[in-house]
Amino acid sequence: MQSEIPGDATSDAARWAGLIEAITVRRDREAFAALFRYFAPRIKTFMQRSGASEQSADELAQEALLVVWSKAALFDPASVGAAAWIFTIARNLRIDALRRQKRTPTHDTSEAELEFRLDEGPQPDAGVRASQIEGRVRDALSVLPDEQLRVIELSFFQERAHAEIARTLDIPLGTVKSRLRLAMARLRGLLDDFS
Amino acid sequence: MTVHHHPPDELLAAFAAGVLDLGQHIAVATHLVGCATCRAAVRAIEHVGGAVLAGLPPSAMSDGALEALERRLDEPVRVADAPARPRARGFTDVPGLPSFLDGYPGSSWKWIAPKVHLRPIRLAEPSATRVFLLKSSPGTKMIDHTHTGFEMTCVLSGSFVHAGGHFGPGDFDFGDGSVDHDVTIDSAEDCICLVAMQGDLKLNGLIGRLLQPLIRM
Repeated sequence: MQSEIPGDATSDAARWAGLIEAITVRRDREAFAALFRYFAPRIKTFMQRSGASEQSADELAQEALLVVWSKAALFDPASVGAAAWIFTIARNLRIDALRRQKRTPTHDTSEAELEFRLDEGPQPDAGVRASQIEGRVRDALSVLPDEQLRVIELSFFQERAHAEIARTLDIPLGTVKSRLRLAMARLRGLLDDFS
Repeated sequence: MTVHHHPPDELLAAFAAGVLDLGQHIAVATHLVGCATCRAAVRAIEHVGGAVLAGLPPSAMSDGALEALERRLDEPVRVADAPARPRARGFTDVPGLPSFLDGYPGSSWKWIAPKVHLRPIRLAEPSATRVFLLKSSPGTKMIDHTHTGFEMTCVLSGSFVHAGGHFGPGDFDFGDGSVDHDVTIDSAEDCICLVAMQGDLKLNGLIGRLLQPLIRM
């Protein structure tokens, strides 16, 4: 597996956020094309690794970029990073697509999108800036040992995530779980003061 | 409300990655309503997802995909924002549930055992996980049981206690086959929980074995 966390992530993140805002402010087609060129081919990989055929991965990647275009105004750079926002769009489309395979849709709204709207109950969210979370996540990922990083990356794909990761990496299921726990504990340690 | 028991980190990671089935998703989402700490953890994992996505190797898009999309940009947007589900208002009378359950078909409490009532949450999506609300009166001792699969319980009101600790509103209890549940409701009011469960309950002890055929949860 040759994926890697991009090196100059800070400037990328700011540039992507700027492109999304250019779509909101002036329906900027150049900005859209730039986002398409970077993200569509990667969303396609994401979908294929999640089990989609080449053709439907292509369609889902296009659909994701259409959502980026039509919902750009909902992007709030203060609360979420650009890549994370696009990730949630792709994730939700993947869930909806998997469900469409299993049954006839009764309507075509995104159910997954609704299901990921997090209600704030009695404890409101601490107003943490996205750039802070992004920075911490980037730092945390950069210090993770490679084997923990790979477990984390793979956990974003398969449905039967842990068992498949174990098979793919040819390690016992218990090892996957302990690596994931270690990696999560580390991430959580870095994020603790946000809550 | 202070939350003391949280879902394990792997479960929060699977939630944010979008790889939980709907029944499990509902149980975690219910915990998130009451827990800002875990909401922050989920957002952080979504940022990890963003970093993973941005770092994937690209796959070439089909010829002309960008041009085809650009022609569609001026089309009126299909509004996908408002739920087209009938406003069933299925569970609005129960505080603390995630709001997307408002669109689910409602159900009423059914008696399943002395002082215990159950209200099923019917999923539109086929799921290996059954989801229901469980209401138990003060002082109820649940019959000693173990699980063949896992059980996720999120407390909405009242509280219970078992060997693993004391669980009040917002708390999340994750049990699998290894946990022997000897649960007592210790609040002065009814204890209402959302439960997501795979597999079956196995009742322990003589009374449990006698009751087993009668209790289908």
